[in-house]
Amino acid sequence: MNNQDFKAACSVSDLKPGVPFTVELDDRFVVLVKLDNDIYCIDDICTHDGGTLGDGTVDDFSLACPRHGAKFDVRTGEAITMPATEATASHEVKIVDNTVYIKIND
Amino acid sequence: MTIIAIPAAFDAASFNHFLGSRNEPDWLTQRRRKSWAAFESTAWPDRKTEEWMRSDLRGFHLDQYMMPGLGESSEDTCPQWLVDDVITCGQLGTIDGRIVLEQLSTEVSGQGVYFGSLEKACQSHGKLVEQHLFSVVDPNADRFAMLHAATWSSGCFLHVPKGVSVEQPFHIHSGMSDGGTDVSHVLLVLEENTSATVLYESSSTTPNADGFHCGGLEIVLKQGASLRLVILQEWGDRVWHFAHQHAKVGRDATIQWTLAAMGARFVQVAQQVSLVGEGARSQVNGTMFTRDKQQMTFNTLQFHEAPNCKSDFLYKAALQDRSRTVWRGMIKVAPGADKTDGYQRNDNLILSDHARADSIPGLEIKADDVRCTHGSTSGRVDDELIFYAQSRGFTRQEAVRMIVTGFFQQIFDRITIESVRKALGSAIARQVRQYE
Repeated sequence: MNNQDFKAACSVSDLKPGVPFTVELDDRFVVLVKLDNDIYCIDDICTHDGGTLGDGTVDDFSLACPRHGAKFDVRTGEAITMPATEATASHEVKIVDNTVYIKIND
Repeated sequence: MTIIAIPAAFDAASFNHFLGSRNEPDWLTQRRRKSWAAFESTAWPDRKTEEWMRSDLRGFHLDQYMMPGLGESSEDTCPQWLVDDVITCGQLGTIDGRIVLEQLSTEVSGQGVYFGSLEKACQSHGKLVEQHLFSVVDPNADRFAMLHAATWSSGCFLHVPKGVSVEQPFHIHSGMSDGGTDVSHVLLVLEENTSATVLYESSSTTPNADGFHCGGLEIVLKQGASLRLVILQEWGDRVWHFAHQHAKVGRDATIQWTLAAMGARFVQVAQQVSLVGEGARSQVNGTMFTRDKQQMTFNTLQFHEAPNCKSDFLYKAALQDRSRTVWRGMIKVAPGADKTDGYQRNDNLILSDHARADSIPGLEIKADDVRCTHGSTSGRVDDELIFYAQSRGFTRQEAVRMIVTGFFQQIFDRITIESVRKALGSAIARQVRQYE
């Protein structure tokens, strides 16, 4: 793993359990979700119509798009409910000294 | 030595400095102030409105850009393609809102034609400009239109007096440096029984340049006027492009409007043709060729306000990588606009698994005796086609280029200017991505 690929996104304390948190990294918007002691990161884009997932709600491991209700698995980005059929990108997360780092998966 | 910092951001202090640096007539200053007040009291468009529903503006930060004309001058030059092998009768070039080239042949100026800086025309042709400026484009359409109306800079004004036909084309070039701002306004006014051709292109100093274009284009065609207009947009890859473009076509007047959009990271254009005089004709042709994560949104309107008018609209888009196009087109027919003949079509060629084209045609008809038709197609390139071309010795890149060029051929066939066909062909070749 190349540490240079990871970019600081926010502090762990910025994240509240089960509340999506949107971050802009190099012209790209990603959404972070903290569940229990794990932090997940997926693209902040609903693959159905380009909506913002960061305004959605988290239920278990799914994040629902507020526009049409499509749900994505925050662990993998997989689309689990219509109308989305295509996964949104998921990104690697690591935590160093209370800072959340993201490695963008293109 | 005292160093005075010149405000340059898009804020009230910069705006006042911007106004103070210009020697403009009172009517214009008042209009600018009114638009600035509207800009300050209005929010950016949100995704609840139909036009902006598919547009993500979160990455757009106005504070990264400077008020036009207040930043440092760029010494760089920008590429131009539409003037290759063309003899023009007039040229106007700007970089970051500063005029770098302005010329008009004496033969054409001798016929009473004005072509040049809109700012200068506000002084020399004040009444004419006051009458037409923002008479077609709505300065309050949205917050970008308000910002444009308040801060437009180094625009172009073409005025062709009654009965004059100009054979050779006029050429307008808007250039932008990396991180630059272009808020140009183009105003084309053709009086009765006139004809002209305008080539209008935009480009950045480098292919991957950042920048902010907030433009306006308005066209007034009076009775019997005829305009051929070609627009080639090839901004750098990181440019934000917002524009309001509107033509008002009078009795028996015709417009052929061809646009090619290749550059910029984000494009949002409101394009409208209003057929306001009986017997008016419009033909609008569009080619979009996108790659990487480009997004282009075109909200178009063909508005039939008078009877016996014809509008013909064809947009074709080819998409690569993760790019996206959105076309939302409407034909509106006003009450009493009988014998309307309206047509709109949008074809999309999808060249990758992750590209996406949204096509939303619409009709709103309030007259009884009309013919309005519309259609849309979206399809993938058959991989066998590419494989076949490769088996005949072409690279994948060459194969894609051939297929895309063939797809756009219908538009090329409509273009009567050979040099423009050539320039668009070259633009397509530049836009084909590299395949490993």
